[in-house]
Amino acid sequence: MTAAAQREARRTEALDSFRVRGMPHRRFEHWRYSDLRAVLDAGQVAQAGTAKWQIDKLPDGVELFDLATPEAPDWVMQKLGNVGNRRTMVEASLAFAEGGVALRVPAGRKIAEPIKLQIAGQGNLRWLIVLEKGASARIFEPHTADAGILRNVGVEISMAEGSELQHVRCAPFMPRSFAVELIAVEAAKDAKYRAHFANFGSRLSRTELHIVLGGEGAEAHLSGVTVLGHDGHSDVTTHIEHAAAKTSSTQLFKHVAGGKSRAVYQGKITVREGAVGSDSRQTARALLMSPRAEADLKPELIIFADDVKCAHGATVGDLDAESLFYLRSRGLPEKEARQLLINAFLGEAVAAIGDDALIETIWHDIEAALPRAMESVK
Amino acid sequence: MLEIKDLHATVGGKTILKGLSLKVETGQVHAIMGPNGSGKSTLSYVLAGRDGYEVTQGSVIYNGEDLLKMKTEERAAKGIFLAMQYPVEIPGVTTMTFLKSALNAQRRTRGESEYDAMSILKLVRAKAKALQVTEDMLKRALNVGFSGGEKKRLEILQMSLFEPKMAILDETDSGLDIDALKLVAEGVNALRSPDRSMLVITHYQRLLDYIVPDRISVLAHGKIVKEGGKELALELEEKGYADIEKVPA
Repeated sequence: MTAAAQREARRTEALDSFRVRGMPHRRFEHWRYSDLRAVLDAGQVAQAGTAKWQIDKLPDGVELFDLATPEAPDWVMQKLGNVGNRRTMVEASLAFAEGGVALRVPAGRKIAEPIKLQIAGQGNLRWLIVLEKGASARIFEPHTADAGILRNVGVEISMAEGSELQHVRCAPFMPRSFAVELIAVEAAKDAKYRAHFANFGSRLSRTELHIVLGGEGAEAHLSGVTVLGHDGHSDVTTHIEHAAAKTSSTQLFKHVAGGKSRAVYQGKITVREGAVGSDSRQTARALLMSPRAEADLKPELIIFADDVKCAHGATVGDLDAESLFYLRSRGLPEKEARQLLINAFLGEAVAAIGDDALIETIWHDIEAALPRAMESVK
Repeated sequence: MLEIKDLHATVGGKTILKGLSLKVETGQVHAIMGPNGSGKSTLSYVLAGRDGYEVTQGSVIYNGEDLLKMKTEERAAKGIFLAMQYPVEIPGVTTMTFLKSALNAQRRTRGESEYDAMSILKLVRAKAKALQVTEDMLKRALNVGFSGGEKKRLEILQMSLFEPKMAILDETDSGLDIDALKLVAEGVNALRSPDRSMLVITHYQRLLDYIVPDRISVLAHGKIVKEGGKELALELEEKGYADIEKVPA
């Protein structure tokens, strides 16, 4: 069978699978805060078309394959549609996207310059990155605000032994769009995946990550900030599976919710049998800026191994009145004092990005989003 | 400088100040002494304008203006400074950033030009040295992990930086050992000036050995029950507050 025929077969499988399972809805336990079926039907997903991707400048040493071309090379065929679980919206993006992009970083190549992968327009889209043994790269994934009714992106990340990837995703405020992105990562021995998700809210926004730490010493470090106002919604759901010994992970998520917005973080950690010496730490915190905003933080630990360390903490609160008074008594106007405290709250999660230029980009977006979050509501 | 008349204030529905009257003259250091629960901290919060401290009666005139009508930050810009008993820890905001934001915010409110980062840094460094506020403290998050003495020194550094007209020192001696107390007191004494008044609130006479006041008022049950010169502190040290507390409220 040719590669094109195999792809067609896989696409048919995906289509059938999506038809059978349909849209995710609140009775799917991990979709309970984002009832997609209530607002969108399967036909709209099928007819949404294909979103666009753009890479202006591909760093030297990175191979690129346009998924719109049917005859794909082996490295694409091995992974496309095969990384991670076949979740229903992932199958939908595979079934309906007429395009997308695949990237490969060859063994041992260290790509210092970030790959800027911009996602635009309405529709379904797929992207894939394969990091071979010892390779490293950084990928910056900004989304433009023109998602129309729906943008549904399926992402696959395959990391071979000792590879490293830093992934920074930034989704703007899109009050009329449904924005879904499901990311699947497989990490082999000693692979290190770092991600940061900055979300500014959509009519319904779902950022979901599932990573399998499948080799000894593999690591995942996730962080994110969400700043919402008006009717914004953002649901970040992560599932980290410690499937090998001495794997480690951290999750640090900070949310600021104002107006009538809703911020969700669900963090599931599974430690499989045999994953001894695994270490996972999760922190999720939310600041509510208005009485009508809502935050749902839901940690979940499932542990099948002994001798593991898992810690989690979740808090939802208001700005500290005493801190606010202290700053105002020093002459800072109330609005400025609030802003300083919000920035201080978010700071730790933004700093986790670790790259000065990207940190500055994210701060810039946060500053643009804060006035919405701080607007008073009745 | 400051004239308080018949001040009544409630906190959480409970009346704490019950007709307090007090006059602080320009250039004077005025001590307020009193036992626990007499309303000392409430007075300092009411003057600084903290939410939840409700004035139900009386007036406070500050340099001819109605202080109670001003917002907290406006009071700061107009020269009211409260050195707190328990300075707040604010993770994520470095001390230097805080000092710069606060000083510039006050200057902006007063219609003065803002300082650039370099001039502020110079200004802060020059003042920090005498108070033994280290570079490291300036780089760390505001008050986070500071010892009691470090926190109090930072309060006095702010006082020296903001150059207030009316400084209120709330139990500045609490939690300090004798060396730390001397250092803080020296810092405060260096800021005594003919156009600056200070209200030094304390439970113990000890602080007043180092910051010698011009006047002393004794607060009990929410009002001033006794006034006098600096010798009053010694008298209280000898007899304690027992006699005063017997005075019916």
